Amino acid sequence: MKIITMASRNVLRNWRRTLVTTLAMGFAGLIMILFASLMEGLLQASERNAVAMDLGDIQIHAYGYRDDPDLYKLIKNPEKIVKAIKAAGLYATQRLYGFGLVASGSASAGVQLRGIDLVNESKVTQIHNHVFAGRWLDKNAPKGVVLGKKLAKTLGVKPGDELVFVGQASDGSMANDLYNVRGILKSVGEEIDRAGLYMIIKEFRKLMVVDEGAHEIAVMRPDRSTDLVAARDKVASLAPGYETLDWRSLKPVIARILDLADAQMIIMVSITYVAVAMIVLNAMLMSVFERIRELGIMKAIGVTPWQIMLMVYMETIVQIVMASIIALLLGISVSYYFQGNGIDLSNVAEGASFAGVAIDPIWRAYITPEALLVPIIFLFIIALLAVLYPAVKAAVIRPVSAIHHR
Amino acid sequence: MSRVSIIVISVIVFMFTQSGISYTQPDAATIERAKKILRELDDIWRGSSSHTVFTMEVKTVHYTREMKLEGWSKGKEMSLVRILKPLKERGTATLKSGNNVYSYLPRTDRTIRLTSGMMMGSWMGSHFTNDDLVKESRMEDDYDPSISFEGERDGMKIIEFTLTPKPDAPVVWGKIVAVVLADGYIPLKYYYYDEDMNIARTFIFSKVEQLAGRPRPKVMKVIPADKPKEYTEITYEELELGIPIDDDFFSIANLKRM
Repeated sequence: MKIITMASRNVLRNWRRTLVTTLAMGFAGLIMILFASLMEGLLQASERNAVAMDLGDIQIHAYGYRDDPDLYKLIKNPEKIVKAIKAAGLYATQRLYGFGLVASGSASAGVQLRGIDLVNESKVTQIHNHVFAGRWLDKNAPKGVVLGKKLAKTLGVKPGDELVFVGQASDGSMANDLYNVRGILKSVGEEIDRAGLYMIIKEFRKLMVVDEGAHEIAVMRPDRSTDLVAARDKVASLAPGYETLDWRSLKPVIARILDLADAQMIIMVSITYVAVAMIVLNAMLMSVFERIRELGIMKAIGVTPWQIMLMVYMETIVQIVMASIIALLLGISVSYYFQGNGIDLSNVAEGASFAGVAIDPIWRAYITPEALLVPIIFLFIIALLAVLYPAVKAAVIRPVSAIHHR
Repeated sequence: MSRVSIIVISVIVFMFTQSGISYTQPDAATIERAKKILRELDDIWRGSSSHTVFTMEVKTVHYTREMKLEGWSKGKEMSLVRILKPLKERGTATLKSGNNVYSYLPRTDRTIRLTSGMMMGSWMGSHFTNDDLVKESRMEDDYDPSISFEGERDGMKIIEFTLTPKPDAPVVWGKIVAVVLADGYIPLKYYYYDEDMNIARTFIFSKVEQLAGRPRPKVMKVIPADKPKEYTEITYEELELGIPIDDDFFSIANLKRM
């Protein structure tokens, strides 16, 4: 207890230096908390865009469909499988995919047709809430289609405009029909943005002459904190003879990026804190050298080297605690601000994506306990490591030469 | 470098030097003759202009379909093909004008221009691509012919040509081997090779009958090499060559009109 009192007094003795050191640490901590919560926000948005907009947690395909998607590689009894999965307490929906060309006026573009079941799809993904202009599909408007953002731009269409679709139906005939643009999606991911054209599944079946079957069944857990692998195995047992994969295997790159985010965070924190460590090292070394005679006398009157080391450490800890309070208070308030008011990237990063997943044009922070704790814990570790040398130096002083030091 | 690759390289070097030595420059007369035959082959169904009615049977592992079509052409730049049967697709028409391909879709009453992305797609569900239609060229313009075999094969007197693309020719094939009857230069088989010199597809001609004033094969069957169970077979019902026809006929406006 005496040591803490003494350490606090020592810290306040040269208050200017203490202020500079503490502020440097506090500022670094603030930056790291902000960085961590912005990273977290980016990752959350990416995972949401990948999983909640398109993939779902788990997907079922006929074997070989993913390598070479063609109209004929179908899941034979999708209704039955969807029903069984729903009975097991998960959400499931069937989808059909096709390829073709859409034209509007003189502009045309290749598209990926996506035939979806409106009722079930709305349980599995959030795509219906992701409309940028116009409205989402409606079962009473079978000729209304919803387009990806870049596709709409390529074709130069807006809601209400007319589109011609041409493709090859499953019977070899030329599938063609007139549609109208009902809605345009916000950015989701490369594939959907560039080529996605959503229509209701009934219309898809008529257009492409696919009377039954589905190319894909997407499954979503109602509670995303439950075990993904267990859910996948359960779904796989309900769809024997088909390939059942979770989203981590479907998009390994995204899964890896998300997994590596923690390591990335720690590396960033370490690099920034090396600079902080230099400041701490310098400040504490100076304070030790200033007090060499004083420390010599302390030793002469019987203070042990351990106690002196503890004192120097205490002085540092007092400063780190003050710095942490500053970092947390400012970090939380700044991050909280960016959580509510995202950074608008639409000018610089309109339609940007990584690993095929769109980056939201509004970059919001997201405060998690980890985003707050990791920077603070690392601040402690690095500052305490940096002070090791000054502390040892103070502890091993020889009283006689120290008293005569000038 | 591994031993295997050394062996492979020396074999390649050997082959090149050998072919260089054994290759004898064909004389001008032979080249002229080959070119002349090629010109006749080019004209066999087209002439300067043509009008034809043909059926097309497409067999794939997933579907079989039969269509009746009517087509017109002028030179190599202009052609127009329209579906007569089945009724569901009647009126669907494809117009080729220069390097552009347009499709008229009666169901939507719209004409669309096919983009480059659609070019490798199937033309009307057959084993022809839209690109075949655009690139359909006179072999004489794009290939250098050489006679690689002449004599009797399978009891028939034949001439076998090997057509190698001219250096700047805009073609996708590595080479074409054409087998024709020595008598009357009637085509029997064409073998198309891709750029890696693997066979890509085979054309088989049969049922030689009197058509537009001379014997011609009525049936042409295309078999893709990667799907040997599939084919597209075209049977010519009517053929008129050298008919008078305006350039205006091959216009987008005329696509709809018919």
